[in-house]
Amino acid sequence: MVRLKHRYLLVNILYPGPVATPRGKDQQTLPDTIQFHKPTSDSLTPQMLMRLIRDGVAELFGDYGVGVVAGSLQVKYFSAATSTAIVRVSRAHYRLVWAALTFATRLPHPLDEACVMQVVRVSGTIRKSEEEAVRRARMGIRKAQSAGTWMWDESTIGQGHGNVGSEGGSVGGAEAGARPGIEDIEDDRSESGDSGD
Amino acid sequence: MAPGRPAQSPHDSGGGDNNSKKRKDAPTNPQHDGPNKRPRQHIDQRQKIRIARTLSTQTTSAAFQNGALDVSSFVKSRAYEIQALENGLQRSKKALNERAFQQVPKELRRRTASHNVKRVPKRLRARAGREMAVDNTPTVTARRRKPSGHMRLRLETVKKLRALGAKRKAEKDKPKDASVSELPAKDVQPGTITTAIKPRTPKVKKSLLATPPVPKAKFRKRQIHKSWLPTHLYHAKRARMTAPSAPLWRFAVPLTPTAKSYRPTHRASHDRGAVAWDMSYISTIQLEGRESSVLGMLKAMGAAEEDLSGRKASKWRAGLRVLEAFLYERESPHELIAPVTMVWCVYANGAESVEAEGRKRKVLLRVHPSAFFQLWEEVLRLAKVAKPAVSVEDLRFEIGSLEITGPGATEALLGALWPSETVSASNSASNAATTGMDVDTTLDTPRSESVGDIWQKLAGLTNPALLPQNALLGFNVQDPRLHHPPRTIALPKSDAEQHQLLELSASWPIDAAQKSCDIFDGKARHLASTTLPSQKAVNRRKALSPPGEYPQALPKDPRMPVLLYSASSATPTNSSKSRQQPKSHNGGSWTLLAPWKCLPPLWYSLMYYPLSTGQQPRFAGLDQKRQLAFEAGKPWFPGDFPGTKAGWEWECEDRRRREGEWRKRPRGKRVGYEKVEMGGGKKGEVGVGWACDWERLLDGPAVVEEAALGVVEDDMDVDGVAAEKAGDGAGSAEKAGEDTVKPAEQEKAKEDAVPFQAPPKPSQLTQLSTRQALALLASPEAKLPTHINLTSALVTVRLTLLTRGVPQPCARIYRLPTDNADLRRQWLALLPSNLPHKKQKGPKHALPRLPKDAPAHVVQQRLAQSLLEPPRAGEDKYPACPAEEDLVGFITTGNYDLGEGQGTGIGSLLLSRVRDGGEERNGCILRSAGTGLGRLARWEVV
Repeated sequence: MVRLKHRYLLVNILYPGPVATPRGKDQQTLPDTIQFHKPTSDSLTPQMLMRLIRDGVAELFGDYGVGVVAGSLQVKYFSAATSTAIVRVSRAHYRLVWAALTFATRLPHPLDEACVMQVVRVSGTIRKSEEEAVRRARMGIRKAQSAGTWMWDESTIGQGHGNVGSEGGSVGGAEAGARPGIEDIEDDRSESGDSGD
Repeated sequence: MAPGRPAQSPHDSGGGDNNSKKRKDAPTNPQHDGPNKRPRQHIDQRQKIRIARTLSTQTTSAAFQNGALDVSSFVKSRAYEIQALENGLQRSKKALNERAFQQVPKELRRRTASHNVKRVPKRLRARAGREMAVDNTPTVTARRRKPSGHMRLRLETVKKLRALGAKRKAEKDKPKDASVSELPAKDVQPGTITTAIKPRTPKVKKSLLATPPVPKAKFRKRQIHKSWLPTHLYHAKRARMTAPSAPLWRFAVPLTPTAKSYRPTHRASHDRGAVAWDMSYISTIQLEGRESSVLGMLKAMGAAEEDLSGRKASKWRAGLRVLEAFLYERESPHELIAPVTMVWCVYANGAESVEAEGRKRKVLLRVHPSAFFQLWEEVLRLAKVAKPAVSVEDLRFEIGSLEITGPGATEALLGALWPSETVSASNSASNAATTGMDVDTTLDTPRSESVGDIWQKLAGLTNPALLPQNALLGFNVQDPRLHHPPRTIALPKSDAEQHQLLELSASWPIDAAQKSCDIFDGKARHLASTTLPSQKAVNRRKALSPPGEYPQALPKDPRMPVLLYSASSATPTNSSKSRQQPKSHNGGSWTLLAPWKCLPPLWYSLMYYPLSTGQQPRFAGLDQKRQLAFEAGKPWFPGDFPGTKAGWEWECEDRRRREGEWRKRPRGKRVGYEKVEMGGGKKGEVGVGWACDWERLLDGPAVVEEAALGVVEDDMDVDGVAAEKAGDGAGSAEKAGEDTVKPAEQEKAKEDAVPFQAPPKPSQLTQLSTRQALALLASPEAKLPTHINLTSALVTVRLTLLTRGVPQPCARIYRLPTDNADLRRQWLALLPSNLPHKKQKGPKHALPRLPKDAPAHVVQQRLAQSLLEPPRAGEDKYPACPAEEDLVGFITTGNYDLGEGQGTGIGSLLLSRVRDGGEERNGCILRSAGTGLGRLARWEVV
């Protein structure tokens, strides 16, 4: 029996623009990495994300693209708090979805915020993309901690999750705090290059 | 897949009502949940999986109060995500396990028998029972099962036999009753008297072969042509044993565990855990006589002078160390028999004075069973002529042994062996923390400590190689069943305790404390085996002891004499430095000798000991024994000593097995040995493809000689065939057997093969010891005992491949070509030391991989470099294999070595052919049987 083959795209939504300063907080105190990976508004639902992708594919590849992708496209996981999503597509056409995500510059209408959709991992099983999401979350924690140590009270989180930040990729570190996002993107390229085919 | 999906048709629902045994309806099908049916609480499997796979997410408003972005909320939100994803991974994995027994770990022996609810772990039992009730396959107990075909016949026979037996017994009893009934009062008196008389202890008949112990009637029929190891029942349930028709060395030997064990064994022996073997098949011979005459015997059997006498050997002669040495036949041609382990009994009362010289002493010789008869004959012959007389005793079924290796070995042994000598000490101390307490108590009185005390102080030792080489401990232990199940012992934690252990191993007070060991004493051995209490009695005592504590030791408890020695990782004769380096990672192992009947309780205690590093010691079989010897770079007797009689028989047996495997495959799917391209236009494997063909190596292609002459002169294509034909016609009929041997003949050969008898060993084939071989290799003029025919002397070597590849057993070893200078140059160019670029990352002996976006000039540079690169295997320019005159030996054991991370092998070489190799003498070329591709390798004597 032939199995339906899928690809799972792990997507991060990044916000390159200046953050709308919330009341009371001074913008300078927030490290760049946090601003970059800031949470998405709750009003963005998986359905809206799906529509965004579909519209993007329609714009770039027309009806053909929509038709080919629609059968298998599904948002498997979307966490607004961390701006992470896992999108499933059939293996033959995941590039169309990837392209649509890459060309998306704004969130859909009611939000209408400038953003970058970054595909950080393409994998054949959801398991691997989940593992990668865990790894990235760990890295994110480490970066945020090293970047914001002056305002960081370790005891509040340390008790909740003893395992957090103890392992994972060794790259993080102080340097990562200084240049948020850049290194992030560099190692993304190599990874997605390997797994893309 | 959801169970019972297709059962949705109404037709099936009707079938559910009749009395069919199997489950027909899906447990979750709503159609079936009619009013008269029990409501089912199961959720649809698909739905269950979907639920398990849904990941929980956090909304932004929940994670960030009032939408305020700060570090702590940011980190918390990510931590939540990690938690959610990890939970999801776990849940979705578990959701696929539909049945309870699918959660039983693979290693558990009874996973396959999990259809019996009582055999799944307790926590799963309720669930399993429910599932099986749903399936309508409830557990049947063996007692109530209706006996099936064969079993019914058997039971009927048993019933008949019982009836017959009862009848006969009744007849037998009748007349006795009639005669005795007259005088009951009289009979009582003599009866009591007779029990008071000590029965005559049977005199031990020396110089006779021991007979195996008579098994229980139930098992007797299965041990007619072989005997079982003491732990046979344990192993037969968990391991592949030798086939009933083909016992090994007249024993039923476990070959390999049923569970997968190649890597686990490697890990347990090198990194964490322990691996144990029942080695009771190793034969023991006891010699008793004056020290001088025993030493004379050993000398006559060719043991090296410096091993037997001299300062270094004084500890061995005193009975404080073990010696492993090669013994030879006394008559020329002085064949190597086997490596033999020798242990002296300690001087009685520690008197080493002149008057002790005249006293008789005992020594145990331990030898592999394949060489036992050869050694036995030799020893008997020598004992007869020895003056003063030496008596020989066969202790084969009296002394059993086990071996255990790995970092946890000492710990496991400590958990199982409770010395009897410290009984009084441990009585006062609490039971649980005996070992910890002993360290402290014995500190105060260092003078009076016994071997058992010192033994307990070894807690924390992970590698017996730390102890003095070949160290030895002999003491008595309590019945381990009293302390079953064993508990993890207290291990040293502080630096001071570790330091104490180091000091202990350096000073080794055993040398002063060791008394003569009871295991040498036949009476003590006999007593220990006969006074073992029954399991019932042990259980009763355990029941009487307070909860959580072991029963108190009693003075009349049996004392099991044990002898424990650490086999150092060094090979029997140690002289070369180069040999020490490859196996530095390998720890030593402990060998435990105990009376044959005492072994099972010891074995069970060992096997169920909970190691401090987790898990329990693993058991292993013969294959693992060979595997670990191979990984340690040591030859395994008999397989790696083809020059000995035992090794030759092993090789013949292996040959037969490989041939059988080869023949049973269809022609298209087996290696066509006669068609292998040998380079230089030659075709056909050298010798028999499935054998380490030592005959061919010694005699050369004698029968092919006239054809070989033709090879030189004639055209290539023609004599490829000519040589083949000549080879077939003459002696090596087996070589191309599939062409010449007709099916009928094959049948006949098969029939003949059943009572397999190894052909006699070629008389001139001999094996050299390491010491001799190294001496011969070191200087060309080294003198050799005249009886050894140098042209046919083999030496065991270890081979490491220099480039790539994995050597297989039977692979051919060639020296670097001697005649063909051009070919030799080509091979030498492949040596890694001759390559221009070393120390580079990337694939072994190839250029490092280029990045995908390398600039053009780098790519060009690479192209130029790759033109200078030596040819790789499979390319046209790769040098051909040398000709047959350069054949020097065969690989006897070869595989991928997990320790080294590359292929290595152990083989034997014809020493005379490699003695004068000029430069790169140790370089050689390996070619697996049936392939034409040679690989560079290097050999070293082991």
